[in-house]
Amino acid sequence: MNAAWLPLTALATSLLVAVTIFALPEEARRLRTTINIGAAVVKIILVTLMVRRVAAGHEDIFSFQVIGGLDFVLRIDALGVMFAGLSSLLWLCTTIYAIGYLEGSANRKRFFGFFSLCVASTIGIALADNLFTFLIFYEMLTLSTYPLVVHRGTEKALNAGRVYLRYTLSAGVVLLLGAVLLNNLTGDQSFSSEEGLGDYLNDHRGLLTLIFILLVSGLAVKAAMVPLHGWLPRAMVAPAPVSALLHAVAVVKAGAFGILRVVYDLYGIELSVELGVITGLAVAASITIIYGSLRAIAQQELKPLLAFSTVSQVSYVILGIGIFGPFGTVGALAHLLHQGLMKVTLFFCAGNYAEELGIHRIDEIDGAGKRMPLTSIAFTIGALGMIGLPPVAGFITKWYLGVGAIQAEMYWVVAVLVASSTLNAMYFLPILHRLWFRPGPSHGKGNWPHEQRLGRLETHGWLLWPMMFTALISLGAGLFAGLPYSPLDWAARVASGEYLP
Amino acid sequence: MITLLLALALLWPFGVMGHAVWLAYRAPESQRDYFSVLWLSAAWPSLLLAYVGEAQWTMDAWMLGGEWELNSLSRPWLAFTALLWSLAAVHARGYFAAEQAQAQRGDQDAQRRLLRLALLWPLTLLGNVLLIIAQDIASFYLGFAVMTFAAYALVVHTGTQEARLGAKAYLILAVLGEGLILGGFLWSAGAADTLMLQGVRESIVSAEHGVWMAALLCLGFGVKAGVIGLHVWLPLAHPAAPAPASAVLSGVMIKAGLLGWISVLPLGHAQVSGALAQFGHWMLVAGLAAAFAAAVYGVFQRHPKAVLAYSSISQMGMMTALVAMGLVAPDVWPLLWPGLVLFAAHHALAKGSLFMGTSISEHLPRWPQPLIWALLALPGISLAGAIGAGLVSKWGVKAPLYEMHHESLIKLLSWAAVGTAALVSAALWRQWQQRHQGGSNREQWGAWLVAVIAALLTPLWLPLPAGSIEMPPLKEWLGIMWPFPVGVLFAAVGWLVTRPLTGKTLPAGDLWWFYAFVVGSVLVPIRAFGHCCGRLKSASVVTTQKAEETLMGHLTRLLSGESWLRHHTSGLMMMLAVLLAALLMWEGQR
Repeated sequence: MNAAWLPLTALATSLLVAVTIFALPEEARRLRTTINIGAAVVKIILVTLMVRRVAAGHEDIFSFQVIGGLDFVLRIDALGVMFAGLSSLLWLCTTIYAIGYLEGSANRKRFFGFFSLCVASTIGIALADNLFTFLIFYEMLTLSTYPLVVHRGTEKALNAGRVYLRYTLSAGVVLLLGAVLLNNLTGDQSFSSEEGLGDYLNDHRGLLTLIFILLVSGLAVKAAMVPLHGWLPRAMVAPAPVSALLHAVAVVKAGAFGILRVVYDLYGIELSVELGVITGLAVAASITIIYGSLRAIAQQELKPLLAFSTVSQVSYVILGIGIFGPFGTVGALAHLLHQGLMKVTLFFCAGNYAEELGIHRIDEIDGAGKRMPLTSIAFTIGALGMIGLPPVAGFITKWYLGVGAIQAEMYWVVAVLVASSTLNAMYFLPILHRLWFRPGPSHGKGNWPHEQRLGRLETHGWLLWPMMFTALISLGAGLFAGLPYSPLDWAARVASGEYLP
Repeated sequence: MITLLLALALLWPFGVMGHAVWLAYRAPESQRDYFSVLWLSAAWPSLLLAYVGEAQWTMDAWMLGGEWELNSLSRPWLAFTALLWSLAAVHARGYFAAEQAQAQRGDQDAQRRLLRLALLWPLTLLGNVLLIIAQDIASFYLGFAVMTFAAYALVVHTGTQEARLGAKAYLILAVLGEGLILGGFLWSAGAADTLMLQGVRESIVSAEHGVWMAALLCLGFGVKAGVIGLHVWLPLAHPAAPAPASAVLSGVMIKAGLLGWISVLPLGHAQVSGALAQFGHWMLVAGLAAAFAAAVYGVFQRHPKAVLAYSSISQMGMMTALVAMGLVAPDVWPLLWPGLVLFAAHHALAKGSLFMGTSISEHLPRWPQPLIWALLALPGISLAGAIGAGLVSKWGVKAPLYEMHHESLIKLLSWAAVGTAALVSAALWRQWQQRHQGGSNREQWGAWLVAVIAALLTPLWLPLPAGSIEMPPLKEWLGIMWPFPVGVLFAAVGWLVTRPLTGKTLPAGDLWWFYAFVVGSVLVPIRAFGHCCGRLKSASVVTTQKAEETLMGHLTRLLSGESWLRHHTSGLMMMLAVLLAALLMWEGQR
């Protein structure tokens, strides 16, 4: 039984919300909030439905022909559902957070409209079944995030937006070139086709490699791989919920997810190994991991530090792809979710510090643990997860990546993982030390840069609860990784599909 | 029933922490008792658990798959760990009484410090308990990491310059150690596709690079166990930490490193390869080197706790050597390990009571002086092997070594015990020099007294397998006891010889200063290189921007050309038309 309505409705929920929000007047705050949250909840229900159908072995496809030889296809598969699940869960959290964060500021209609559009694009990316459909949503994502990045409208924001567009649009061209070349060679290639591109290997080895490089370098810009990461730290001028969404699921993850699709579903893992591109990917990812961590150490401000940490962490996903074997794949897929959960928590915390106390720089954070204990606990959980300490989810992925690397006999990867853990500790532990162990304004030493009392608790409830929720989930994903339907369990399910056809 | 007790043992510390939080936010300032009976009880369920019996638990949902066990090794280990934690907690109640009174009077700083300690003490304990019962890698690593990082609060408690330096050294080395452990675990577990510690042991025996895995894990746990070269945090952290914190740190937490070795190394395995045995020899040498070098360096320390820290390094060196015997001579291990556990347990309680004793000598109660100093000296004498449990535990490791004819090691261990005796007498001497009257209370000396008694009677209460430990026969007593008087003599002679040099002491933390110097000088060129790269980058950005501007300038000029074209459209079109017409005509004429 094909439930073609399911992928379509999932996509439509956010798209329709975007349209509705644009149609509503700016002042209709209550109605907009209700619609936004209602749609997010509906979407989570739909994704749950998808999870159940995929687990039961159904494959729901929605397709129509655009022109001869080019189809628009949405299909629900295990990998796509994983990304869609992350996106819908975090949509709810970031929406709630954004409502609290932007309370009373201007242009909220524009913000929430594009926000929904951005999430709709990620759902499209998750469910796209061929490169053509993927490209449509990928570019839609680029365009719908631009207004979010420049939301504040300051000189700095506009500059950042310009840099962002330069990077992503030129990458889009490269990606398009690769897609056109591939389409010329093979015709419409579904992500779900079993045979992959193996048939073309003998005659078109060079061309296949070229196409791979084009596709991956196009996607690597969004995945912020060194040296194509320059836009990400600048895009930090965006409001905190945007940064959270950008880093956790939308842009950066879309790039990583695209690379996953190209390697596992378009080329197929055997062909990628045959072409030898896998190792290149692992090396590039390792360089990114180390470089991102090193740059993060040098940062003075909280958000750019988190940005460089993202540069480093997202490449764990790429590294996992670069490790041939089921463990590497499980690590990559699980990290797609784990990193999203932990990073969104960290950005929520950074936003809370900025909103409540006006903290932007790391040296202003002294003693904030007393003033904002829940936020600081959430930050601690996120930071420990990033370092890869148990029981937070980051440990699970690090474990799988390391074991996968050993089994693929890539011993240097373990060295990279250990080095990266140590470097992560070097930039996160001093912050934790400042949070909890240094006396600060809450102990009567100096003043907070810009303190507001936003709520009865340590800050506004809308800012607090989503953060607590994501922090608990990242803890739970590590502590109870063995439960069915945990991120690890689902990742293992996808990976077994890739390696055991 | 036992499962319920396990759950209680692991959840109780959380309850204690919850109570501390409740206290901080709800109770009025003047009624905050950070060290209430509830807080003292954090380790009691674990202590009970150790005596209930053996059991095993498997939980698939827990992390990567949990397996916990109370067996013949983890039971005694848990027993002495939980006992020392309980006693140190009681001691802490007395030790921090003054600070608590200060906090109740409204001192914000004291409140902050005490709350931090009250919260992280049970967490550290929890990590310690978890790592003892864990048989799977993830739980073990979790317990180890929780214990390591939560203990930071114990070290840094006072917040003074020295405390911060000690805590920094502790943390840097801890992070280094965690990295090495992670690497070792990933390697060995990946090679054998296992999630259990049992699998790691087998993997190290069977894998091609087993010796490297063993080396990584050994060094990683060695940070905690104070292996020579990685020991530098001990003498820096101990003098700065409060006495009860030092007691648990030196008593049980460094034993976690030892337990790590016992858990991951294939000790006593029949098929230990030549390379592994060679590695065992290296470990043996490192252990003995630590045992002697720490003794020689330690006796010149000023601070009694620094002397005791060096004594811990020296003692751990002996235990390292004994663990190494499990690789060098696997057949001795089944006989040796109960002795080693007893050695560890006795050292834990003795060192714990010695550290608690430093707080007693700083606040001497109004008892007869000889009695106090005799009591203060007792655990040290026992540690050197002259009386009580020390005598039994020395025999516990010597008897199997005799049986398997490792006389030279026995001789070396006896000489190391001379070092121990010298160290404890030096510590006592320093305590005597820095003594103060008054200010101690019931909890403080009560816990200390119980710890002294427990240390002296260790074999009686430690739940070791029946019949594994015996009293030494009378004719062997002299062979075990002689190091003590010799050590005291050495210390006295050393004191007399170095007396003219008063005022000059060797800094605590020995190699730390060397490491700091090396790292500092390595960082200089790296920084310069970083600046260079930064300049290069900004220069290239400027160049690119210039190139882009030039390009855009050209394009703009083209634009002006376009407008010129637009301006003259009609004329140009006319010219074009005329040209075309001329061409046509020319074509027609041909």
